[in-house]
Amino acid sequence: MLKELIDGIFWDIALIVFLAGIVWNLLAVFTRGIKKDLAVPRGSGLVGAVMTNVRRFYPHHEIAPRIRFQVVSGYLFHVGLLVLLFFARPHVEFVKDISGVGWTPVPDWIFNLAYEIAFAGLLLLLLYRLLSPVTRLISRTDSYVGSILVLLVMFSGCLAMLESFEGLRLFHRFMVELLMIYFPFSSLMHAFLFIPSRGYSGAMFGRRGVDI
Amino acid sequence: MKHTTAAVIQDTGEARQRRKRYMLWSFLLLIAMTLVLPLIPYAVAYVQDGSAVRNPGSELWREVRQRDQAVIGQTQADNVDAGILINKRGEEWRLFRMKKLIPFGAILIGGILGLIILFYLIRGTLRLPGGRSGKRILRFTLNERIVHWFTVVIFWILALSGLITLYGRYVLVPLLGPEGFSVTASASLMAHNTLGPIFLVAILALFFTFVKNNFFARGDLKWLTKAGGLLGGHASAGRFNAGEKIWFWLAVILGLALCVSGLILDFPNWGQGRVVFEWSHVVHGISAVVMIAVSFGHIYLGTVGMEGSLESMTTGYVDATWAEAHHDRWYEEVRNAGEIEEPGQSDLSGGVASGGVAQSRSTD
Repeated sequence: MLKELIDGIFWDIALIVFLAGIVWNLLAVFTRGIKKDLAVPRGSGLVGAVMTNVRRFYPHHEIAPRIRFQVVSGYLFHVGLLVLLFFARPHVEFVKDISGVGWTPVPDWIFNLAYEIAFAGLLLLLLYRLLSPVTRLISRTDSYVGSILVLLVMFSGCLAMLESFEGLRLFHRFMVELLMIYFPFSSLMHAFLFIPSRGYSGAMFGRRGVDI
Repeated sequence: MKHTTAAVIQDTGEARQRRKRYMLWSFLLLIAMTLVLPLIPYAVAYVQDGSAVRNPGSELWREVRQRDQAVIGQTQADNVDAGILINKRGEEWRLFRMKKLIPFGAILIGGILGLIILFYLIRGTLRLPGGRSGKRILRFTLNERIVHWFTVVIFWILALSGLITLYGRYVLVPLLGPEGFSVTASASLMAHNTLGPIFLVAILALFFTFVKNNFFARGDLKWLTKAGGLLGGHASAGRFNAGEKIWFWLAVILGLALCVSGLILDFPNWGQGRVVFEWSHVVHGISAVVMIAVSFGHIYLGTVGMEGSLESMTTGYVDATWAEAHHDRWYEEVRNAGEIEEPGQSDLSGGVASGGVAQSRSTD
């Protein structure tokens, strides 16, 4: 019965909440509108938007030495997660089962390596958030819940990697469904908002002819 | 013609019976010869030598079992140890695991845990003499604390999953049943094998972060003879006392032994044979059990055993009274450098590279 619930109705609910939540969140952001800039533009907003998006992938040289730890750990986690999520064989097969669309997965050893890198990166970031007095002060419950949920999803996935026990696969899937329901209402939405956010700042300053 | 039909019928019947008797006796003779003929060489040898003769097949199986020396045969399979039919050492390894590692490991871990609980019940928490002063000293920077807790998390995931693999059949099967335990064991094995390589990174980071203050120095032997103050009054110490230094080197050496043996076991594609796996498992098992047992002492002293210890690894700061009581030589260095924070100084300077106090000890 648990299998039918987790593979059936819970998955449907989680998927609807996830997709509808993201669309609703993005619509809410884009329909807020922006104040019209009456000044004569001195540069291109579009170029500013694109350049800022690219430049924010590496830290500004003035602050780089101070945030090296967060940048390195952050990239370890995000790059590892990207490979894991989209190119791990069980995930590729899962997407192919539900959508019919598939692609070539990475070899299992790369999958394992990506997992280790992503897990280490996330653990380091979570420890930094807990141990640094600055981030401890500015962190809210949502910051911890999001990190811990992602960690649980990854850990449960590791436990089920052998693909020998249905119970472990169901536990992993249940964790994923919880994360999908939580996702649109949390700071994890940065996954979809970081591009428009950087783009807005870049466009605004780009119109004013300022390089940021 | 004298032969009547009745006579012919009678003759035919008798002949048939005779033929049947011949066939039966021939068959029985054949069986008897099959059983008796192979024994003739033994009988001859017995008569000739006057003693029992071993089964000639025993020579073959002795060579196969490698009682006298390892004999490598030839097979079509082209991998390490493919030519060894039976690995006699495998039984020795199995007996070591079942009769030595498992019971003695349980005694060591359980014994040390029991002693610690007994010590706590008798002695209680070691309080700060005279209470807290309110003045703070930065003991561990943010980087040091992150490296420590990262190692702790990875170590305990591996320790628990390893203990489930070693003792699960005795402890968990009665609780979860065989099916429940098989799921738990599979999950533990995956967690252990996948996260194991990360422990190497953690141990190396721990080594390079803490090594510079962990070389044995003047005063460490005296600290040991006083058992850290348990015998014979105050024991002087620098930033790290002799007990902490011993734990550091044990953790690094045992940790590296665990990592090297673990990698050999986790990646069987470097041409390792059975003997290498067996020795790796022995090293891995002994190192793990010793490290887990000794870590209980470290955990006890860092938490309930000593007032004011845990906050050094959570906030980075210790009370000045704590520093003076347990690490007096380090306290003197810090006091002379003017690095004692008075009550009310900003919390945000703690252990972060931007803080002036932390910068001198920051590993950024």
